[in-house]
Amino acid sequence: MSARKINPLSKIAGWLVVFYLAGPIIIVIGTSVSDTPFLAFPPQGFTLKWYHKVFELNNFVESFITSMEVAFGGTMIALIAGLAAAYALSRYKVRLPAWYGSIFFLPFFIPEIVFGFSMLKTLIVQFDLPILPSLMLGHAILCLPYIVRVIGASLAGFDFSIQEAAVSLGMHPVKAFWSIVLPNIRSGVIAGAVLAFITSLNDMAVALFLTGPGVSTLPIEVFTYVQQFFDPTVSAVSVLLMAVTIGVMALIERSLGLSKTIK
Amino acid sequence: MAQNAVILQDLVAHYGPTQVLHGLNLTIAEGELVSLLGSSGCGKTTTLRLLAGFLQPTSGQITVAGKDVTKLPPHKRDAGIVFQNYALFPHLTVAENVGFGLKQRKVAAPERKARVDAMLERVGLVDYANRLPAALSGGQRQRVALARALAINPPLLMFDEPLSNLDAKLRVDMRVEIRELQKANGRTAIYVTHDQEEAFSISDRVAIMNAGRIVQLDTPEVLYRRPNSAFVARFVGFDNLIEMKVVKREGDLVTAEVEGGALITLSQAETGPLEDRFVVGARPEGIELTADPSNAIAGKLLTRSYLGRSYQYKVDTPTGMLIANAPLTQLHEEGGAINLKFNFEHCCILPVEEN
Amino acid sequence: MAALGPWLLVLPATMLLFLLLVLPVAGTLKESFDGASGGLLDNYQAFFADEFNRVVLIRSFKIAFMSTFVSLVAGFLGAYMIANASPNLKRVLLILSVFPLLTSVVVRSFSFMAILGRNGVVNTLFLKIGLIDQPLELLFTQGAVVAGLAYLFTPLMILSLVGVLENIDDDLYAAAGSLGASPVGVFFQVTLPLAVPGMIVGSILVFTGSLATFVTPVLLGGEQQMTLSTLLYRKAMISFDWAAANTIAAIMMAITITCVIAMGALANRIAAGRKMR
Repeated sequence: MSARKINPLSKIAGWLVVFYLAGPIIIVIGTSVSDTPFLAFPPQGFTLKWYHKVFELNNFVESFITSMEVAFGGTMIALIAGLAAAYALSRYKVRLPAWYGSIFFLPFFIPEIVFGFSMLKTLIVQFDLPILPSLMLGHAILCLPYIVRVIGASLAGFDFSIQEAAVSLGMHPVKAFWSIVLPNIRSGVIAGAVLAFITSLNDMAVALFLTGPGVSTLPIEVFTYVQQFFDPTVSAVSVLLMAVTIGVMALIERSLGLSKTIK
Repeated sequence: MAQNAVILQDLVAHYGPTQVLHGLNLTIAEGELVSLLGSSGCGKTTTLRLLAGFLQPTSGQITVAGKDVTKLPPHKRDAGIVFQNYALFPHLTVAENVGFGLKQRKVAAPERKARVDAMLERVGLVDYANRLPAALSGGQRQRVALARALAINPPLLMFDEPLSNLDAKLRVDMRVEIRELQKANGRTAIYVTHDQEEAFSISDRVAIMNAGRIVQLDTPEVLYRRPNSAFVARFVGFDNLIEMKVVKREGDLVTAEVEGGALITLSQAETGPLEDRFVVGARPEGIELTADPSNAIAGKLLTRSYLGRSYQYKVDTPTGMLIANAPLTQLHEEGGAINLKFNFEHCCILPVEEN
Repeated sequence: MAALGPWLLVLPATMLLFLLLVLPVAGTLKESFDGASGGLLDNYQAFFADEFNRVVLIRSFKIAFMSTFVSLVAGFLGAYMIANASPNLKRVLLILSVFPLLTSVVVRSFSFMAILGRNGVVNTLFLKIGLIDQPLELLFTQGAVVAGLAYLFTPLMILSLVGVLENIDDDLYAAAGSLGASPVGVFFQVTLPLAVPGMIVGSILVFTGSLATFVTPVLLGGEQQMTLSTLLYRKAMISFDWAAANTIAAIMMAITITCVIAMGALANRIAAGRKMR
C-alpha cells in the first residue's frame, strides 16, 4: 500500500520538527560566513576569514591531529577485539551463554561522565599511563558496543556453511575466516568502524578527564574556546566538523546503508 | 428474490497509473454470500477495499442497503471486515477487541458488555475474554476477528482471504463455521479468496475474476459444469481445450474435425446446440484411453503418473498435449500408441475465442 | 582446544571491558563508601547535608524530566511523520535525524548559544519585529538547558519510535476504521498505545543521557544551572574533592541503573504480552 494518510495538522507539526532539527544547523552555517565579530544570523556580508582563522589557531590544528590519532587507535583496538567477539557470538551461538552478547552493551548503561572520571583515576593516576594511549583505550571502550552491534548485525545474515564448505575443501579455518567470512561482511565492518571513529572523534566525557597540558582533542579545544571567545570562529570549526559528519554518513550509506546501521 | 443489499456499478479503479478494475458490475442479494475468486492481481482485493472505503474508485458507484456510500470514509460505512491476518489489536483483550466497534458507536458500557458476551458465547470464546490476542491459537484469533466484525451488526460482512493463515484441517472447519454464522445471522457477505474449493463450498454464488473484470458470476454448480470461457474452464479443472470444426450435420448428430484430421461425432441432445466452430473442454476424467480408433483422437502415450485413485497419462496428439485419467485396472505402457475418446458427461462446450 | 575457541575469541573484548570499564567503575563505587571517618555512608551524608548539592540533584532531575518530555513530544511527531512519509521524503527525514546524532555535542550545544544569546537569532528577530526593546537573557537559564538537551536527544527519540510506528500493521488501521473509529480515534486508540514500548525505550535513553551530559549544561546553563554531571566535573577536576566526586558518580549510576531496569522491565512486559504470530 502507499503511504498512509495523515491529517494536515500532524503534517504541520511534523514539519515543525524538521525545522527544529535542521534550523540550528542552518543557523551555525549562516553565522560562520557573517562578516561581523559576533554571531549574526541572518549573516551580514560574506567572508571566509573565520575559516582561515580556524587553520591559523594552533590549538585547533594540533588537537585535530591528536583527535585523529586517538580515533584511529581507539577504533583499531575496538575493531580487533570487537570483530573477534562478534564473530564468536554469531558463529558459536550454542556454545556461548545467551546473555554473553549483552555484556558488550555495558558502556551504554554507565553515564559517560562517570566512566571518564573512573578512567582518570585508573589509567592516569593509578597506572601513570601517558595521555595518548589512555585516550585510545578509553575510546576503545566507547566504540566497542557500536562495533559489536553493527558487525553482529551483518553476521546475523551470514551463512556459516560457506566457511565450512571452504574448510571441507581443505582451507585452514583461520584463512577461511579472512578469505571467506571477512569479504562477505566487509560492509558491516566498514560501517561499524566508521561509526566507532566518529564516536571517538566526538567524545567529550572521556577526553574531559584524560586530556591534559599539551595533549588535547578538538572537541575539548572548541569547548574551551567557546567559553572564552564567542565569535564566528566556532561556527566555522563547527561547519568543518559537520562536513566530517557528512563524509561519515556517506561512507556508512555506501557500505551498509544508514538506516540499517543506526537502528 | 430478496432485495439487493449491495450494488457495484461500473467500478473503475487505479493504483497510480495502473488501471486495476475495468468497469466492474456486481449485485448481491440480501442474505447472500458471494465469493470473489481469482489469482493474485485479478482485482478481487481491490474490489473489497473499494467496498470497505479504503480505496476510492476512479469512477462508478457503490450502493449498500439502498444507500450510496461511494464517497463515505471507512469509519462511516458499518463494514464488518475479517482480515487475512485478523488485524486484532495486540494491546487490547479479546473482549475489548470484540467491543471496539461498539465503543466507537458510543454504546454504553453495560450494554456493550452484554453484547460482547453474547458474541463471545456464539463463537465459543467466553473463557478467553480477558486474554490478549497473543495468547490465542490461530483458530481462536480467527473467531475473535469474526466476532469483532459481527458485533457491530454490519449490513455487509467482508472476508479478505480469512482462512489463508490456518492449516488445512482448521481451514475446512472454520469455513463451515463462517458459513453457519453468516446464515444464522442472515448476513449479506462478500468473500475474497484464491482457493476454488473454499469459494465453491461456502458461497451462494461465485464471481470468477481475471484482469480487473468479473469473467463469470454463477452458482458453484453452474460454474463447475458450464463455464462460459476458456479462462473459467481451465480454472475449474477442464485441463484439455480442443478446438473442433463442424464438417457434417445429420439431424441431432454433428460430426466435427479436430486438428490433425480426427473426426468426432457429437449428439446435440447431449451437448446443446453447436456452432460451426467450437471448443470442447474436457476434464482428465472426461477422456478415455482406448484401442478403438473410431470416433477418437490418435496419439502417443508419453508419461504415466500415479494419482492414487487413477493413473494420469500425458498423450501427444496432433492437436496438442492432452491429459487423461484412467482407472487403475487399465494400465497402458509409456511410449505406445493410443486413441482418446470423449465422455461428454465430463466435458463442456465453449465458444471459440479469437485473439 | 576447539572447545575453548569461542572463549578465546571473546576474551580480548571481555578483558578490555573488565579491566577498563568494570574494575574502574566498581572502584569508583567502592571508594564512594570509603568515608573519611570510616563510616560507610559518610560521603553520602556529607553530600546530602549540603543544601547546594540537594538543589543540584533536584535541578538535574527536573531538567532531565523536562527534556525527556519535550523530546518525547517532538520525537513522536517526527517519527510519526517519518513512518507515514513517502520513501523519498522518509530518506531525507531519516538523514536529517541521524545527522545531529553523528555531530559533536559541542557543535550542537553551540548552535543553541547562537540562537539564544544576547545577539542571538531569537533576540534579533524579536527586536526587529518590536516584540521587545531590550535583548532577553535567554542563555544561562534552565529553559536554555532543557531546550539544548531536547535538541540533543530528539533524534534519538525519533529513531526509537520510527521502527515501532512502522511496524504497526496497516490492517490494524483499516480494521479500526472499518469498525467506526475516526482518524483521531484511530490515533488515540491504536497508534499511541502501540507506540508505548518505543516511547519507554526512547525515554530511558533521553533521560539517562540528559542526566549524564556535561557540555550542554555548561554552555547553555553556566554556573547558575549546575547539574550532577557538571558538579561531578567540578569536584573532580577543580576542587579535587574526589570523595564527593565518587559519591556523585555513584548516585548517577544508581539513578541510571534504576531507570534502565524499571523502565526496561516495563517495556519488556508490554512487548512480551503483545508478541503475535
